[in-house]
Amino acid sequence: MDLRWDIIQNYLPMFLQGAVMTLQLTVISILLGTLLGLLTAIARMANMKRGILKHLVLLLIRVPAIVYITLFRGTPLFVQILIVHFGLMPLFINPENGWFISGELARQIKLSDGTFSGTFLSGAVALTLNAGAYIAEIFRAGIQSLDKGQSEAARSLGFSYAKTMRFIIIPQAFRRMLPALGNETISLLKDSSLVSAIGLAELAYAARAAFGATTRVWEPYLTISVMYLLMTLGLSLVVSWLERRYGKGD
Amino acid sequence: MKNLKTVMMFAISLVMIVTLAACGAGKNEETGSGSAKEYIVATDASYAPFESLTEKNEFIGFDIELVKAVAEKGGINIKIVNTPWEGMFATLNNGDRDLLVSAITITDERKKEYDFSDPYFEARQSMAVPNNTSIKNFAELKGKKVGVQTGTTGDEVVSKLMGADSKDIRRFETTPLALKELENGGVDAVVADNGVVKYYVKNNPDKGFKTIDEPLFAAEYYGFVMKKGNTELMGKINDGLKKIKEDGTYDAIYNKYFGE
Repeated sequence: MDLRWDIIQNYLPMFLQGAVMTLQLTVISILLGTLLGLLTAIARMANMKRGILKHLVLLLIRVPAIVYITLFRGTPLFVQILIVHFGLMPLFINPENGWFISGELARQIKLSDGTFSGTFLSGAVALTLNAGAYIAEIFRAGIQSLDKGQSEAARSLGFSYAKTMRFIIIPQAFRRMLPALGNETISLLKDSSLVSAIGLAELAYAARAAFGATTRVWEPYLTISVMYLLMTLGLSLVVSWLERRYGKGD
Repeated sequence: MKNLKTVMMFAISLVMIVTLAACGAGKNEETGSGSAKEYIVATDASYAPFESLTEKNEFIGFDIELVKAVAEKGGINIKIVNTPWEGMFATLNNGDRDLLVSAITITDERKKEYDFSDPYFEARQSMAVPNNTSIKNFAELKGKKVGVQTGTTGDEVVSKLMGADSKDIRRFETTPLALKELENGGVDAVVADNGVVKYYVKNNPDKGFKTIDEPLFAAEYYGFVMKKGNTELMGKINDGLKKIKEDGTYDAIYNKYFGE
């Protein structure tokens, strides 16, 4: 196997730009996904003791949360990306008759480059929705792993449900969730390579372009493998630092 | 608990055995065809009218009919296998496929790594643009967003015009996906082989596209691709191609897809 270093060298700027794009996409998606996951987890566990409210909560809050989690955990991310970009986005942002944005602005978004372009938006939406479903379950596991006495004590001290969650439950649950969240972040970083299918110039896309032009397999794909590896290693370091910082017992 | 474990272990071993057996069976089929070797043909069946899949999962298209006719006249057995465009060339090198027939343009760059048969189809690059576009020719694409299929001739010519790492080039897995992005307004134009672009525009009259032919580009030719030095197969393919051109089979297939 003779590596043609010139290929790696020629395409290096493209790979580096792609890596930056991959990181941006992952960070934004994991942050938004965590928020979405937290809300979904709370909705998933929402409950009322009795009365008609109980049924309303079940129907309007719990069931939608469960449906969302089931759909996004049960279908391939690749398919979700294609649906979001070629199906959903044209409905919302469309030069002709977008539900949210139309006209010149929609055209500009779609044709713009890089961060916050139309393709980036689609990719971030798909990754966020996907991550949100997994993170919701991570949150649920974290919250349910806490002793029931924690919330009972808080409630008997006069804390409202919201305050109990905010000050007592979530901070404790978060510590326990850190390893699982780190795992999800690393998965997401790797899975973001699927977004290359809709033409967002991230790392895997750069390799595809290099492969397409040269028909050489090893040079582009080994290079991006190393780059992905470096990024995931960096992430693991961040996660283990966070664990040391916040993860220790009380 | 212990019982459950045993059952699980058993199930896992069973799955592994079946998988291994399946792999073994696959190997046999490939090598043990005896007297008449079966050549495995790769095609990326997402490129109508050259190659696509029917709803019954059968291959159809110009290339498909052609390669079947060529194989028959050339006296070889073939088996067509759907292969994604991206990995297609790599399958030749590792021996998974013997022949690539997928509207592949003969280029000097590709000739360095692979062997091509005699040309079998003349293609030109053409552009799909919205009816109300201001773009009149290829040079005006500079500064516009252009969709192409990754690694195709369209990709190559647009890369040449705007630089391979230009942000204005949007690369897609298939030409139809690039055309879909044109519908969505994500690109201003799509550059691809004329056969595919014309076929798409003709079949989607409601989408408001037109094609622009660009005389700037020289004619290009499609060829069958083989691993370097596979002269035995090359001889049979070129022989079959010559025969179907002589006896009118080629013209019949051509007219079916591209005639009036």
